[in-house]
Amino acid sequence: MIDTLLALVPAWGTGIVALATFLSCLALPIPSSLIMLTAGAFVAAGDLSLAATAGAAFAGAVAGDQAGYAAGRWGGARLDRLMVAGSAPARRIARARTLAERWGGPGVFLSRWLFSPLGPYMNFVAGAARLDWAGFTAWGTAGEAIWVAVYVGTGFAFAGQIEAAADILGNFSGALAAGAVALMLGLWLRAALRADRATRDLSRDAP
Amino acid sequence: MTRLLAAWRRHKLLATAFAAALLLTLFFAIRTAVFAVYWSDPAHRDQVLEGWMTPRYVAHSWRVPPEVMEAAVGETPARRRPTLDAIAEHQGVPLADLTARLEAAIAAHRAAAE
Repeated sequence: MIDTLLALVPAWGTGIVALATFLSCLALPIPSSLIMLTAGAFVAAGDLSLAATAGAAFAGAVAGDQAGYAAGRWGGARLDRLMVAGSAPARRIARARTLAERWGGPGVFLSRWLFSPLGPYMNFVAGAARLDWAGFTAWGTAGEAIWVAVYVGTGFAFAGQIEAAADILGNFSGALAAGAVALMLGLWLRAALRADRATRDLSRDAP
Repeated sequence: MTRLLAAWRRHKLLATAFAAALLLTLFFAIRTAVFAVYWSDPAHRDQVLEGWMTPRYVAHSWRVPPEVMEAAVGETPARRRPTLDAIAEHQGVPLADLTARLEAAIAAHRAAAE
């Protein structure tokens, strides 16, 4: 399975790299990290050009982000029309939007490369929350540049041991992403428990 | 413990998701460590020749000049970056024959260089 995938890189060249980063930004299960690592290794071996490979990966990723954002925006607008103004879900969506406006930019940036498994969902959320498009694009583009540089660069540096680099980097990024989700849920849970305690104290004080 | 249980009862979905995320983090962290240990063993590092590699990739991975591989590979199909699989198919030989030929060429080059 992995071998078939690796063989696609010399066979298709930079086209497969752009396609992989594009599709993976739309939450499709494409091992784009492995493909970028492999492409970096073929750059080191002299089979692919560095500029064309990095450019293809970057262009695919940026286009994928834009598509994901547009899909989120379209889906979010439809959701809005279904909502009753002032109802609880509508208020919650409004709050998510405020949150996205405040933290969205850096969140988008970090979900490109540090917590990359979260990236595609962030695109939909950012679009649905109507995160400012110029800000989304600026933070996203900067983050994708780092993502591409890290993976193509690692592939280039560890060209002889591409499987080792893929195993270690892949699991490490999984641990980072799962850890970020655990942290967010943990903070949420703590806030919920505090709210519980506050209501309990209030009811105890009441005669 | 009872407080934890009470918390879980009140926020079932949130607490379960939190526990699942923690377990997943642990799972990936352990895998990272296992792979790091596995690959730090030099015996696992020599990359066995495989069908998806190109002659240049083999040359780079085994640190021999690309010309040595080009000479050993022989006739290649007329397309850019042919893989060892494609070359073996083009020559009508099993992949194992081709990789054996390349390994022999690498060994000969290294012996000559010493």
